[in-house]
Amino acid sequence: MSRQLLVPLLDQVRFKREQLKDRLPTLPGTPLLFLSPFFLLFGVFLAIPVFYTFYLSFFTFQGVSTEALFAIDIGAYQIMIPEMANLQYVGLDNYRRLLTDSVFYQSLLNTAIIFVVQVPLMVALALGLALVLNAAYTRYKGIFRSLLLLPVSANTVAYSAVFIVIAAEGGIADIALGAVGISPIDWLSDGFWARNLVAFMSVWRWTGYNMIIILAGLQTISPSLYEAAEIGGATKIQKFRHITLPQLKPIMLFVFVTTTIGVFKKFAEPMIVISSGGPINETRTIVYYIWQVAFQNLELGYGSALTVALVAIIMTLSLIQFKVS
Amino acid sequence: MHEKLEKEALWQFGGYGFLIAVTMVMMFPIYWVVVASTLPQSAIFAGGAGELPRLIPGSNFLANAEALAARPEVDFYRSMLNSLVIAVVYTGLALLFCSMGGFALAKYDFKYKRTLFMGILGTLLLPTNLLVIPLFLLVSNMGLSNSYWAVILPWAAYPLGIFFMKQAMQSIPDSLLEAARMDGASEFQLYYRVVLPSMKSSLAALAVILFLFQWNLFLWPLVVLREGKYTIPVAISKIMSNDMIAYDQLMVASAMAIVPMFVVFILLQRHFVNGILGGAVKE
Repeated sequence: MSRQLLVPLLDQVRFKREQLKDRLPTLPGTPLLFLSPFFLLFGVFLAIPVFYTFYLSFFTFQGVSTEALFAIDIGAYQIMIPEMANLQYVGLDNYRRLLTDSVFYQSLLNTAIIFVVQVPLMVALALGLALVLNAAYTRYKGIFRSLLLLPVSANTVAYSAVFIVIAAEGGIADIALGAVGISPIDWLSDGFWARNLVAFMSVWRWTGYNMIIILAGLQTISPSLYEAAEIGGATKIQKFRHITLPQLKPIMLFVFVTTTIGVFKKFAEPMIVISSGGPINETRTIVYYIWQVAFQNLELGYGSALTVALVAIIMTLSLIQFKVS
Repeated sequence: MHEKLEKEALWQFGGYGFLIAVTMVMMFPIYWVVVASTLPQSAIFAGGAGELPRLIPGSNFLANAEALAARPEVDFYRSMLNSLVIAVVYTGLALLFCSMGGFALAKYDFKYKRTLFMGILGTLLLPTNLLVIPLFLLVSNMGLSNSYWAVILPWAAYPLGIFFMKQAMQSIPDSLLEAARMDGASEFQLYYRVVLPSMKSSLAALAVILFLFQWNLFLWPLVVLREGKYTIPVAISKIMSNDMIAYDQLMVASAMAIVPMFVVFILLQRHFVNGILGGAVKE
């Protein structure tokens, strides 16, 4: 299972071409017919935008008004560029600006801090839960699993709103903390706590999801490994350290890579925290900043440059994680 | 021996304690949104020092729901309909395109197959949120902005979906397809008479993943949709963009966005788990 899970990616890279060629039919046209709807959409809405982002990052949209931007579709069916009369080529200016943009760095830093708070907590919880649910003694596994997985289906904006109400002044969180003798926390006005709130919200939503993946990984570990260790007199903790953890490595890699991507594209949670009066400087994630730049300030060129930078960062981090493991 | 048993009992006790505690904490926000949706705003928060917000349901649900309905700029009930239509049409289309494409990749050989496939894989690590700027210009120029299609089409070619279907369809025995060809079935008949029926559980798994993906999209609909076409997440964000947030209405809207999905999700959960373990990636 662990192979099945992670490896799709790696396996396909080593595509066994010759082998396939012998066996599969090569009917002229048929496969392309089957593929055409997918590839038409893929080309128009994914491939072109990827290159278009790169292209736009060398331009500035100075002087474009909201109306102009939203009215493009009135003069429909024109090629993109001519309509944007104010599009100006600026070379690397956007990238130069990015290098000295303190808000960009701050939002990267915020994203990184959210990552650092969210991931250890989430992975520890998910691993702990998976271990208990994998243990022979545990009963009602199905029910616990279902309940813990439920948050994944919660609408992102709706659950963010629920957390705002829980964390707001006079909300349940204050009362609960008060009950154990902790003074109320200013979740929505204190920068440090507002940022942690975003991380905690994500922990709530994604713990069950990662638990399911880790659980699947646990179930692939051969029982004979544990039996051998037991004969050797290993304790529970030794077995965990020397068998479970090493065997889970590919699954953990998967969890880390997907979570990294998840954190770097976080938008709904910070957006809701900020629109309910949260401190923007400390909770603004990088995607939130891109949205602000592009759709509030209407600087689509600069927004594109920020996007290119972010994609580069995500790719680099994913590569590092693959290499490290 | 006795000591060992005691130790084991301690582990079990700790394990259950942890499991139950975490589950209760995780369930609380869900319980709370249901309760809060039935309370007047004044009871959602504690009034004075030491006073508790009400933890048991009240009777204000209908009043809150009516107040919510009276806000045309939010248009929440319309947004529920929009979200549902968009997610259903999207799921259907994406299933069709991904299964057709997956079939071609799994069961035929053709030139540049590998290149095409690598092209799709390359976009797997690319979060959807990152393409909004070029997509906005593109979709506007096509005259599609502020329409259902603007939200349905861009990810109907869902890279993970075609990948998932290809993996699943590789398990179909080639002899089965050959036999059908011998019987005179056309290639398209092969696809919908032989392949699709044998892929029911994989299709269901992908359907749940696709539906949730679309249901949760926020940034893109926020950018491209305007009044009257809002989806649920956008409508809720409009409730919050007010200076004075009506928390009672906010909770009714959130409860209506969250609770029905839970019911559906519990029923279809098996497919969802198959989906994340088979294709194994997040939206």
